[in-house]
Amino acid sequence: MNARPITTVRTVVAGVEEAGRDIKLFTLVDPDRWELPPFKPGAHVDLHLPNGLVRTYSLCNEPADSRRYVIGVKREAEGRGGSRALHDDVGIGDTIGVSLPRGGLAFAPEITRRVFVAGGIGVTPLLSMVRDLLRRGDANFVLHLIVRDQVPLAAQLAPLIDAGHVVVHRTSLSGRPNLASLIGSPEPSVAVACCGPEGMLGDFERLTGAWPTDKVHVERFVAPPVTDPDAKPFTLTLARSGAEIEVHAGQTMLAALRESGIDIATSCCGGICGACKVGWIEGKPVHRDRVLSPYERERYLMVCVAGSDADRLVLDL
Amino acid sequence: MLDIVSAGSAHSAAQLGWAGVVRFLHLTPRAFLPMGAAEALTLVAGRGIEGDRYMIGNEAGFYSHKPEEGRQVTLFELETLVALKRDAGIELGPEEHRRNVTVEGVPLNHLVGRRFWLGETLLEATRLSVPCRHIEEITGKAIFDPLINRSGLNCRILQGGIVRVGDRVRNAT
Repeated sequence: MNARPITTVRTVVAGVEEAGRDIKLFTLVDPDRWELPPFKPGAHVDLHLPNGLVRTYSLCNEPADSRRYVIGVKREAEGRGGSRALHDDVGIGDTIGVSLPRGGLAFAPEITRRVFVAGGIGVTPLLSMVRDLLRRGDANFVLHLIVRDQVPLAAQLAPLIDAGHVVVHRTSLSGRPNLASLIGSPEPSVAVACCGPEGMLGDFERLTGAWPTDKVHVERFVAPPVTDPDAKPFTLTLARSGAEIEVHAGQTMLAALRESGIDIATSCCGGICGACKVGWIEGKPVHRDRVLSPYERERYLMVCVAGSDADRLVLDL
Repeated sequence: MLDIVSAGSAHSAAQLGWAGVVRFLHLTPRAFLPMGAAEALTLVAGRGIEGDRYMIGNEAGFYSHKPEEGRQVTLFELETLVALKRDAGIELGPEEHRRNVTVEGVPLNHLVGRRFWLGETLLEATRLSVPCRHIEEITGKAIFDPLINRSGLNCRILQGGIVRVGDRVRNAT
């Protein structure tokens, strides 16, 4: 029996493959090889690593390959520790919790040609997009891969390079390519996408500033969806324990309480079932539920949906 | 105020006039994973469905931290899927609502507290299911509001057996 709710997809590492200098490909599967939650081409997931770190990585396989999540990870010796933990401590058979996939790209039907630009290991989400197109019989694209010297995921990319789908630009040999000429001019049937280091993304955004926004995709990791974009951060004070808990903008009180180790009974998480009713003592709650009467709202709120219109809210906890 | 007691609950002989059929069967072994279609499910009395995430003793579902004896098998009306399309323009497949059994011709909301036959198995309806935000996260579709008051039925299994697509569903009172 689980005392706490399950918040991640449970996967096991089914494969670890060397894929270039300091790069490993990890294949994650369901313990029973069940289908995994679906994703769009180029989507990314959060990995909950054994050492407690949570890190985001792009999937480099395609949606139709639905029983695996394949991620390509470059070991960053001076990074924040996620890639080192994966490279040094994670092996076949280990269990890793994964978030539901986010982001990625579904092209509009009028798009008939795509130009992808990748920098180094930033090729991973674009590889997912390219594989998706090829699986659907659409070869009307080109992927420009800009690297200093070594091609990441060389074995995976080799057939695509041989077929002319991927064009490699080595800056150590020929300098930085002219991004503007790679991208070309806007046309109604052409879409462009880029993933790479921040400097390259900035250049790409400047060059495509005049393009229609639905024809340009810049792959950055995105935070989980925020339910209320106008929400403000506030502080919860728990009257009985005296604890102070910060609720980030857009975060639910429930999530903030749980992060602080406070267990609240919940069920629907949408403000209709009444399971997470908590008394409030001081402040200006924004209720948003559909279960409490006006009279009840004077004393109670539902922590799954309620917010605060003041900087501080005191709960009877 | 009139004392509202349905004839069905006051007199066991009263019958609701319905006859239904099992249209789809689904299960999944763990939280968040897609539901997989099955031609048959094995229902175990007092426990749940073999291989499903809410099988008692082998729980791995999104709500498994909240044990519930009356959540051994869950049902959903095909008519609700039709209504979602008709009234809200939302296409929801039987693999997306995350209940195990999609039935047609069975008034699920009327069955709380009653017993009925699902093929060769005997079920007792414990409570209406409640929609949850979790399903919007999984499906990416705004279906929480449209599913309020019609998101299915939770049941306990009184008599186990194998349920197959096409099986009859009928009142047991």
